[in-house]
Amino acid sequence: MSVELSKKGQVLTATGLAAGYDGRAIVSDIDIEATPGKVISIVGPNGSGKSTLLKSLVGVVRVLDGTVKVGDTVITNTPSEEVAKIGVGYVPQIDDVFPPLSVKENLEIGGYLLARHEIRGRIDAVLEFFPKLKAMMSRKAGKLSGGERKMLAMGRVLMLSPSVLVLDEPTANLAPIVATQLLEEYIRGFADFGSTVLLVEQRAKAALRISDWTYVLGGGRVVLDGAPDDLAQNPIFIESFLGGGAATHAPKD
Amino acid sequence: MSSLGFGLISAAVLAIATVGFTMQFAVTNVLNLAYGSIMINSAFVSYYVNQHGVTAWVALVGGVLTGAIASWLLNRFVYTPFQRRNLAPITVVIVSLGIDLMGTFGLQAIVGGGFVSFTQNQGSEYHFAGLLLSSLQLIIIGICAAVLVGVHGLLKYTRLGKAMRATSANRSLARNSGIKTNYIISTTWLISGALCGLAGTVFAMNAGVFEATSAQLYIVLLLAAMFLGGPGEPYGAMFGAITIGVATEVSAAYINPDYKDVIAFVVLIAMLMFRPFGIFGSEKTN
Ligand SMILES: Nc1ncnc2c1ncn2[C@@H]1O[C@H](COP(=O)(O)OP(=O)(O)OP(=O)(O)O)[C@@H](O)[C@H]1O
Ligand SMILES: [Mg+2]
Repeated sequence: MSVELSKKGQVLTATGLAAGYDGRAIVSDIDIEATPGKVISIVGPNGSGKSTLLKSLVGVVRVLDGTVKVGDTVITNTPSEEVAKIGVGYVPQIDDVFPPLSVKENLEIGGYLLARHEIRGRIDAVLEFFPKLKAMMSRKAGKLSGGERKMLAMGRVLMLSPSVLVLDEPTANLAPIVATQLLEEYIRGFADFGSTVLLVEQRAKAALRISDWTYVLGGGRVVLDGAPDDLAQNPIFIESFLGGGAATHAPKD
Repeated sequence: MSSLGFGLISAAVLAIATVGFTMQFAVTNVLNLAYGSIMINSAFVSYYVNQHGVTAWVALVGGVLTGAIASWLLNRFVYTPFQRRNLAPITVVIVSLGIDLMGTFGLQAIVGGGFVSFTQNQGSEYHFAGLLLSSLQLIIIGICAAVLVGVHGLLKYTRLGKAMRATSANRSLARNSGIKTNYIISTTWLISGALCGLAGTVFAMNAGVFEATSAQLYIVLLLAAMFLGGPGEPYGAMFGAITIGVATEVSAAYINPDYKDVIAFVVLIAMLMFRPFGIFGSEKTN
């Protein structure tokens, strides 16, 4: 990676976590750990609570039980603006940009916590990473295509050089080739650089290919977890995610 | 021609009020129907300062502060506690309607039912673009222009203004970007409240004589102007205010003064039916 966009990571852990809406738990008994230099992925069927879990880690959804930590700092139910400040960058699955603001303004808001004189340089660094955005700086984010919009959403969160990246389906709506590039070059790249990456990814095969460890969520609980090579051999995992029998060898070739 | 001139001044007053109203609604998500009563209360504070021998234009500062502080307090002690309970948004609207009645009739109980007017020189008259305008009217137009340019500059070029727009567009994502949205929202109540107080005082000066209930139907004009221009759009507010201001005055002159507010109502309903996000506003995409 020519530009350093993220920082060396910190460990993100959740222990005995339960979280949900209006005091009702959607996810419970969650124990997960994301470590620097690794891509940790979460897969699971629609409605299994993947987004709710990520939201509870970053202070968007209320934690009802258990602890969330970044390094040694407890961040359970810390307001999300404080979570951003300690270096956790979160890209939500939907509503991931500010539609009426221009691309440039979206990036500026991403750098809201930076000093005024730092913002320009950061925007240049992010644009070097996502050069396609250069040509559309004054366009409103609401007018971007799905793929351009995802790049902007990633760009926004990179403005603060996060040490922990929490990404909720960053490849949704992307053309397969772009999705692969985003996962295998950029997202894997952040981890290789030393950042911590926690990723929700619908496509199990793609998730296994770039992950160091994968958690499988079902009905709001972790039902399975393991290294990608092991999961790829696991009959239950194959049955539910790899389309039964189709993938009998590890997807990492 | 004179009704067009009147329309222009009412439009300028309405524009000042609408810019504050639309900013308040867009950023805080509260449709504050008590805006009109805060306007008239602010006007009365300016009036009392003026009665103590202070020039009307200096007394206006009292009205601006009243609007800012009253709006901030209203949010802090009424709207925020209600919003925290996760009730349907209509609840807060109904509460604001109650506040509006209390604000207006509470004021009436204190100041009585009579008409009052500022001690103020209307100044000399000027011919301006074919219209005959008093210096009071010219100053109102000047204030309106300053408010529009100021608010535009705030929203477009300052860190606070961009944070206000981000908070308006997507509050949760704004917080994820490190913005303390509660602080941004309180500040918005102060700024939009100051504009409300300014608008109230200027409205009363322009009316010549006014009483506690003078701004009671003003909310209809505000809503119409806001929806015409698109909620949250300062230039839209100006466009909406000019359209409503001129339309109501001209219709008052040529049809029947009683139809003034009805015209605003018709425009409001038409907008809600056909373009609820305004002429300039765009649908918030999700
Ligand atoms: N704001 C909310 N209030 C109440 N319930 C919610 C809310 N958001 C999500 N849920 C419920 O929580 C459950 C888990 O939703 P969540 O979005 O976490 O699933 P997910 O695994 O991310 O699904 P997907 O793959 O479709 O993104 C669902 O049953 C959903 O209906
Ligand atoms: Mg989801």
